[in-house]
Amino acid sequence: MITFANVSLIYPHSTKTVLEDLSFTVTEGEFVLVMGSTGSGKSSLLRLINGLVPHHTGGILAGDIVVSGISTREVKPGGLAHLIGIVGQNPLNGFVADRVEEEIAFGMETLNMAPDVMRKRVEEVLDLLSLADLRDRSIATLSGGEQQRVAIASALVMHPKVLVLDEPTSALDPIAAEEVLSILHRLVHDLGLTVIISEHRLERVIQFVDRIINIEGDGIAVIGSPQEILKYSAIAPPIVQLSRALNMPAISLTVREMRRATQEFRDSSSAAPGESLAKDPSDEVIRISKLRSVYGTKIALNDVSLAINSHEIVAVMGRNGAGKSTLLRSISGIQKPLSGEVKVLAVDPTKLKGRERAASVGYIPQEPSDLLYGQSVEAECMQADKDNGVAAGTTYEILASLVPNISPTVHPRDLSEGQRLGLAISVVLSSNPKILILDEPTRGLDYAAKSSLIALLKTLANDGRSIILATHDVELVAEVAERILFLADGEIVADGPTVDVLLSSPAFAPQVAKIMAPLPWLTVNDVLKSKQ
Amino acid sequence: MLSTANIYTFRKRSVVALALASTISALGFLWPFFINAHTKFHALNNNLFYWVAVPIALAILIIEISNDRLDAKSIALLGVLTALTAALRPVGAGAVGIEPMWFILILAARVFGPAFGFILGILALFISAFLTGGFGPWLAYQMFAAGWIGLGAGLLPNRIGKNWLRGKSEIAALFLYGALASLIFGILMDLQFWPWAIGSRTQLSYVSGAAVADNFHRFIVYHFASSMAWDVPRAVFTSALIVLTGPAVLFALRRTQRKAAFLTPIEFASAREKVQKEA
Repeated sequence: MITFANVSLIYPHSTKTVLEDLSFTVTEGEFVLVMGSTGSGKSSLLRLINGLVPHHTGGILAGDIVVSGISTREVKPGGLAHLIGIVGQNPLNGFVADRVEEEIAFGMETLNMAPDVMRKRVEEVLDLLSLADLRDRSIATLSGGEQQRVAIASALVMHPKVLVLDEPTSALDPIAAEEVLSILHRLVHDLGLTVIISEHRLERVIQFVDRIINIEGDGIAVIGSPQEILKYSAIAPPIVQLSRALNMPAISLTVREMRRATQEFRDSSSAAPGESLAKDPSDEVIRISKLRSVYGTKIALNDVSLAINSHEIVAVMGRNGAGKSTLLRSISGIQKPLSGEVKVLAVDPTKLKGRERAASVGYIPQEPSDLLYGQSVEAECMQADKDNGVAAGTTYEILASLVPNISPTVHPRDLSEGQRLGLAISVVLSSNPKILILDEPTRGLDYAAKSSLIALLKTLANDGRSIILATHDVELVAEVAERILFLADGEIVADGPTVDVLLSSPAFAPQVAKIMAPLPWLTVNDVLKSKQ
Repeated sequence: MLSTANIYTFRKRSVVALALASTISALGFLWPFFINAHTKFHALNNNLFYWVAVPIALAILIIEISNDRLDAKSIALLGVLTALTAALRPVGAGAVGIEPMWFILILAARVFGPAFGFILGILALFISAFLTGGFGPWLAYQMFAAGWIGLGAGLLPNRIGKNWLRGKSEIAALFLYGALASLIFGILMDLQFWPWAIGSRTQLSYVSGAAVADNFHRFIVYHFASSMAWDVPRAVFTSALIVLTGPAVLFALRRTQRKAAFLTPIEFASAREKVQKEA
């Protein structure tokens, strides 16, 4: 179906080879994962398939790419539209119409199809992706998973033979991601569709895919079965790291396989006695009592009471719309409570202004670029120094320690997700706040960026700060948080140590916990520690 | 040599169409000065011109432009900037000429060139008419005038002598252009409205068949009496916005232009050639 023959790619004005002499063939009905760290060329590889690279971006392409007998040298991307459907990272960026049904029909309108054919195909695809109930809904009111399903439906309705998805689940919570991936799995098996997908969170996809293309950096890419690739790959999901750590002969890809393979190990192990970490004495920094708050016209928080101490890393979890962001915004003083009381360092945070506020609470929103309005990294850092009245160069120093090798002249929006988050964190940290609040910090971060974020958060907490993060990423929570607040419908339904909360909920348990249950281990490190 | 598509530029045929349509439209603006009673070309016929000829000229122009192959990237840019410009127009409610749209049209045209600026002006006025309900014979004139303003901003030179027109000198040039364009827009709008606006019995009215100088004098007096209260604030407001937002907006637009990779070379080397080159 897709053949890459000795493909090399270089972009103009760049000396770095994106891909070097890559050859592989994807047959019909295969489900292929493209993995690699940020900036390694995953998106370039995906866009080579339908010719967007180099026809849209420019570049030198050596070798040949043939899709279903058509070479991308001879045909522009439009000429492959009937063969290849593309779905991007954020479905909202690609939508044209307001209503689900209209959006699905839009692509066919542009291909000038007959109305009766369109009618029929829309019905088919609505059933295929279980969207029939949503057909008249406005797209803006759908959840992230539903929106991504609509995006896939709009691609599928043109009857492509190949579906290309660029990180389709990175903006989704675990349940919505599961929903999207299982639909892809079904499409591959029921329709014989060829699917090529790129993804950062490998733990979500590896059990579904037939083969993996691993871009190792410097243009070198290898293709092979998941077992072959994951045995040696530099980046690996927790389940694979566990296999490696236990020196198992073969890599297991699903929790079921892994549980079978580790039966003996579990039986022979016992939980290490609960170690009590010697911690610095901590003081209460945040107290919330009977907080009620609204989001739009909806009650977002109802009768929430809690206290958070210094040195604590608290994860706020829960479904989309459970009130996580509202809680964070209330603590940082952006949102006024309807009733009840929020005290941050014994003051009402909504009364704080300017530097005083910046010195008590640092807030990093879901989209870190919302904080960045400078025209270069350097300008941004200088502005932060000035705003917070610290010595010139302080912010840049923090940044350099967080994200090495960042060029000061780059525009903040041209940075990678991880670098941009690093810059936003540096700007916020330059005022030395006592409390750091992060909303969904790991969206779009690769494993390397995530582990440096984890290390950073731990250091900051050791220095006596309180850190609160809202996230869907259970693996992150398992690594970093000591305490979890679980919100549902604006109420706290669980509040306790990470181990207790994560282990009691099957949907939110991290992979290692699922494998090792009933032993109370959340991460590969926990397992290794007990082994010694 | 292959390359990616360019931002939209006029081809020879579109230039001819533009010149023709502009001439017709210019006649539509200027007829009060050179029509006299002897040509039997009465106000009624002029009315016809007003309703029919200009819209037709405009329609032909748009068809000609869309016959050219507009690349997806140009369409995307055009769509977003048109929406933005059109949406900004009703924001100032149009009172005393405060229309916060001209600065964005001028800045975008400056970055993306005269052809792009011309279409942007035409489309933005057309689309904003949906928002303001401003449909009528004047719309065709407004569209042309805005198109010309975009065209002119796109034609501002990139360098004067050896010096690049960038930074402060660029903002200064755009500041002057913004003020000038706002005033000229006011004059043009008055011109197309004047013969109908105040009846035929006042001292400032258009007199069919009077000498050009006479009518011109009447028009200038009418213009200053009626419209300076609109044009001067418009010019001040537009120029102020250009100075305030210009550096940031120009930077953002130029960054977009760079990222869109217009006219970037494409090369297809065979795998063997590449190996040979390296060897």
